[in-house]
Amino acid sequence: MKKFVIIVSLIITFFIIYFLEVNIFSSFTIAGIKPNLFVIYILFIGLYGTQFWGITFGVMCGLILDLIFEKTIGISAVMLCMIGYLGSYFDKNFSKESRLTIIFMVIGSTIIYELGSYFLNSIILEFDRELLYFTKILVVEVLYNVLLTIILYPLIQKIGYVIDRNFKHNNIMTRYF
Amino acid sequence: MNRNKQTEILGGVITAIILILLIFLSNVETNKLSYLESVASSIVNPIQRIAMDIKNKIQGNSAYFSNMDNIIAENEELREKNSQLETELRDLEMVRAENNTLKDYMNLFEKYSAYETIPAYVINRDVSNFSSTLVLNVGANDGITENMTVIADKGLVGHVISVADKTCKVQVIIDSASTVSCTISTTSESIICKGTLENDQILRASYVPTGAELIQGDNVYTSGIGGIYQKGIIIGTIKEIITTSNITDRYAIVEPAVDFSKIDTVLVIKE
Repeated sequence: MKKFVIIVSLIITFFIIYFLEVNIFSSFTIAGIKPNLFVIYILFIGLYGTQFWGITFGVMCGLILDLIFEKTIGISAVMLCMIGYLGSYFDKNFSKESRLTIIFMVIGSTIIYELGSYFLNSIILEFDRELLYFTKILVVEVLYNVLLTIILYPLIQKIGYVIDRNFKHNNIMTRYF
Repeated sequence: MNRNKQTEILGGVITAIILILLIFLSNVETNKLSYLESVASSIVNPIQRIAMDIKNKIQGNSAYFSNMDNIIAENEELREKNSQLETELRDLEMVRAENNTLKDYMNLFEKYSAYETIPAYVINRDVSNFSSTLVLNVGANDGITENMTVIADKGLVGHVISVADKTCKVQVIIDSASTVSCTISTTSESIICKGTLENDQILRASYVPTGAELIQGDNVYTSGIGGIYQKGIIIGTIKEIITTSNITDRYAIVEPAVDFSKIDTVLVIKE
């Protein structure tokens, strides 16, 4: 029951993030560049939830984004699915307590997501890859994402523990031994 | 001893602040200090008014009190009128906004009267930094199909890439995956305009023929080759010509006529 409530509220969170991204962050830009909150969202579901939910949410959210905005269907879904998997992989191998590791996780996953979707898009749509300008935009976007993570970290951690307790109710200690 | 030192430091700080403020104030133009003037007058004037009232009363001016009832009645009347006018004003503002959008549409219609068009609003923009698509409020129910050309009042916007029942997705020409075949107005040479990540207000015109003459400020139109875009729709003007050591590599920067960051009403051309 509690699990169900959490999943529903996570879905509602997705829509809140969507409206934030579309309406607010489209004008709150750094040098015209928007952050990517979806990567942070999926990463944290993978990190605090289970591998299954990370991947499921990644695919579903990616598909919704693809259907609404993208020229090709499936690339965001695949990449966000990877981010969900990556989250659970990070969870097994790193501690979530330190802010620094979280920041590195966000940097890594943002770079992987954007690089992957840009290159897959360039292969499918056959356009020229402009690496210099791509890198410029990516650096600003990563910085913006890190900034938002630092601001939102206390909130994310609090919600994350609730999810953690309800999704992995088995013996937390044994995971490390 | 300690206390003396503290007061000394405090005194020094206060003096420094006052001096800095003085420097600022002496550098500000006098008309920018009008708010200080208003502050001063708002402190002084009420007292002045009271003083005047007392003076008038002493001089036997009792008309002020006898007229009180009339004034109250008048006040109520005026308030009612005010609220009425306010509602009227609100209505007028709505009408004005509607009028403006209708005027926009009229201009668009007149300009492209040769084409049969469907007016539409932009209701959503891409959230990604690396691509640029728009979502319009018309769809299959309004007769939109894939590959229809989308224009705005000043020029070409893009083409429809997918259609839902009530909305459709438009790939904008500044998208890095977009390619448009164009002709230059004066020399009628054909070039290809591509979107770039460099800047979202420019297009890169490549595949310039080696013998072609490019002139800054020339208009660039769609050529109609490729089958998506209609012929003769303006795209923009040539802003800059970049020559490289090899003449086959040279390219031009085309500035689109449409400002894509502010675009909100568009027309979809029916084929």
